[in-house]
Amino acid sequence: MYDLIVIGSGPGGYEAAAHAGKMGKKVAIVEKNIIGGVCLNVGCIPTKTMLKSAKVLEGIKESSLYGIETSAPTINFNKVLERKDKVVSTLQKGVEGLLKRSKVEIIKGTAKFVAKDTIKVGDNKYTASNFLIATGAVPTTPPIPGIDSKNVITSSDALSLKDIPESMVIVGGGVIGLEFASLYSEMGTKVTIIEMLPEIAGNIDADLSKRLLQVMKKSGIDFHLSAKVTKIDKDTVSFTDKDGKNGKITGTYILNATGRTPVTDGLELDTIGVVYNKKGIVVSEYGKTNISGIWACGDCTGRSMLAHSATREGIVAVNNMFGISDRMSYKAIPSVVYTHPELASVGKTEAELKEKGIEYKKSTMPMAIAGRFIVENEGKQGTVKVLVGAKYGEILGVHMMGDPSSEIIFGAATLIETEATIEELKSIVYPHPTVSEALRETIVNIK
Amino acid sequence: MATPIPMPKEGNTVEECILVEWKKKKGDSVNTGDIIAEIETDKATFEIESSATGTMLEIFFKEGDLVPVFDNICVIGKDGEKTEEFRPKKKAPTPAATTAPTKSTQSAPNKKAEAVATTSVVQESTPVIIQEPAKKVASPRARKLADKYGISIENVNGTGPKGRILENDIIDAYHNSTKVSSLASKLIKDENRTVPQKGSGPGGMIVSSDLQPAPEPLSNMRKIIGERMCASLASTAQLTLSNSADATNMLNARKKIKEKLGKPGAVNINLNDMVMKAVIDTLLEFPLLNSEFINGNVQRHKDIDICFACDTPKGLVVPVIKEAQKLSISELSARVKSMSADARDGKISPDDLNGGSFTVTNIGILGIESFTPVLNAPQVAILGVCAITLKPVRKDGKVVFVEHIGLSLTIDHQVIDGVPGAQFLKSLKEKIENFDIKEEN
Repeated sequence: MYDLIVIGSGPGGYEAAAHAGKMGKKVAIVEKNIIGGVCLNVGCIPTKTMLKSAKVLEGIKESSLYGIETSAPTINFNKVLERKDKVVSTLQKGVEGLLKRSKVEIIKGTAKFVAKDTIKVGDNKYTASNFLIATGAVPTTPPIPGIDSKNVITSSDALSLKDIPESMVIVGGGVIGLEFASLYSEMGTKVTIIEMLPEIAGNIDADLSKRLLQVMKKSGIDFHLSAKVTKIDKDTVSFTDKDGKNGKITGTYILNATGRTPVTDGLELDTIGVVYNKKGIVVSEYGKTNISGIWACGDCTGRSMLAHSATREGIVAVNNMFGISDRMSYKAIPSVVYTHPELASVGKTEAELKEKGIEYKKSTMPMAIAGRFIVENEGKQGTVKVLVGAKYGEILGVHMMGDPSSEIIFGAATLIETEATIEELKSIVYPHPTVSEALRETIVNIK
Repeated sequence: MATPIPMPKEGNTVEECILVEWKKKKGDSVNTGDIIAEIETDKATFEIESSATGTMLEIFFKEGDLVPVFDNICVIGKDGEKTEEFRPKKKAPTPAATTAPTKSTQSAPNKKAEAVATTSVVQESTPVIIQEPAKKVASPRARKLADKYGISIENVNGTGPKGRILENDIIDAYHNSTKVSSLASKLIKDENRTVPQKGSGPGGMIVSSDLQPAPEPLSNMRKIIGERMCASLASTAQLTLSNSADATNMLNARKKIKEKLGKPGAVNINLNDMVMKAVIDTLLEFPLLNSEFINGNVQRHKDIDICFACDTPKGLVVPVIKEAQKLSISELSARVKSMSADARDGKISPDDLNGGSFTVTNIGILGIESFTPVLNAPQVAILGVCAITLKPVRKDGKVVFVEHIGLSLTIDHQVIDGVPGAQFLKSLKEKIENFDIKEEN
């Protein structure tokens, strides 16, 4: 009898398992594939590793701007992939080590519920007082004729292509589509993005997504927005654009980046009566499902679909199951798009504030207001946009484009989560010279 | 020349009014007819209009003050004009606002209630004697640390000898104190929002989403309604009886009235008017139900002084139609309509809210099929008029559906037993069922 069995070893599952293990609980984790889940193996980590190679390439191409002359660089794509595999393997060992140190038992196989307190993995049954479902999500297969064509690949496939493709059509201009566009475009692939919505990058503030669109267009990526893919035939994607005109584009590969669907199949949730729908398993802010002792976190609950949300959700669930009161808050979940340049965002967008009728003040400043940004980013653009409450000046949203926004945004998340107001922020000292000063300047600029 | 504005006398029984709110400040320009202040008697709220044009030169009373009628409340005139001569001679009464803004200010409708009100004034204005708490003893280091962290040592439990507060106690208090986010503390301070025991922010920090809305004090009017309702339920033995009456005749009469509307002399008599007329006629047969129960005595009324409950934006108001037995149904209908309009607009005279021997309350239009009206004490009976619904009735060996109006009568069992109450309802039912509008013509 275990205190907790976690199903799925992604960032939601393994962190939760380790947390419970460190509390001295008897914990096991079930994984059908490789420890670390999508994030570590075919998601966050490998994409960022390959994007780093692309960034190095970009740096070399632009080196003369910084006074360094080199001959034209060549790409050894095999080595790029090797490095990616090495990074992933290093981090995998790290996770395995963490689980071992936390005395978490690893069970390999696919779990299915046979009772509220029992799962079956292979031929073995395991009982536990608590189960945390952290099965994640898989790429969505949209109902497009020809989506099963050989040329159509998923994000996982796009991380282990043999060669740099000549051309790529990306269906979906959300975070995943944009990052792969940035990566392959830099590597020399002709990239075209087809997006159903009029804007890219999903829920990012419209001002920022417009700016990112400009920068990416300038770098040679083609965009068809408000366009609907109607058919895929081998390497040809047919679509209807916003004016109702039909168009066709061919690509060596067609990347399906239309979104991710929660994994609930195979768990046999109906046997024990756990409520779930298309959006995922239904849970409370404490991570509880409708069945006592069954908890869920991460993408399989469809709440936030981000690795760091999954981690926090898992820890919230573990705390609550072992008597520590804790609650999930989505007020300040940062989200980052690792394009070149990076885009990072936390809190409410301007559109959300308008929709909810919240009175706000805003300030938008170029990142070049911080000297360090000019030092580091020759010829590059950056923007910081801050939204604050009109009456009390609490930070409601921070939206940034430019490097290294991803490393600064946590600060903004802290400000939002702790409900800091401009008044106090004025007394916080930011290190000089850093790009983070741009955030401070934008905040102080609010009248 | 400067013009003083006196506190108007809103009805014969009114001696003083609460100045609820100033609509104009000192220095504001005022035109004749502008609303300058809102006042309140124990029954309703009124607006004071300016009788002069100029600048608000002086204001003699604060919001919440209880002002005797005819005392000048302010002066309007040209800038620089003198105002002191208009200041009320008597010293302004103790501002009610500093204790309870409303309690002490009701002019009581009868002697008994006045005594109660006076008592409560005394209680509320009695200064609270603050007992010096036993001085806490703390070590100098603890005091220094408490100062640094802004911790009040009065709230710290000491673990040293004889409860002496030590440095560690302050450190513990600091770590155990509930943290409040900057935004939440502003909302608590500025908007008086209610603070929960535990926060949901990082480390249990109280954040804005944890706060409940600010508590809202009841309006003076609501307090009065509340006190009367509680007093009624606490001092009487309420019993509610329900039946229903065939409404066919009334509905037919209403149909005819509607057809005639717009023609000269046509009065828009509605179902409520018809029920009230039937009630008045029935009360003439049952004088016991047309009485008040005061200090152990049954006080019968020689007239049918019928009250009707009226919903207004500020709450329930119950106007009285005196000597209603003398009115024709057209007159009764017109009186109900004009008094309801005045009550809704806050213009009704307090004289029209005093007295009364029986009350009718009608929430049938909202689909209520039966309810338990609360006695308008010291009256001994109240009739609730309910919705018209279809009721199966056996007629000539067949079951047919007939429209019936629901009636709920609450009586004070101290004075009236169930049987006379039921007899009243039976007679009322018959009057409604045999209703005929012809008497008008």
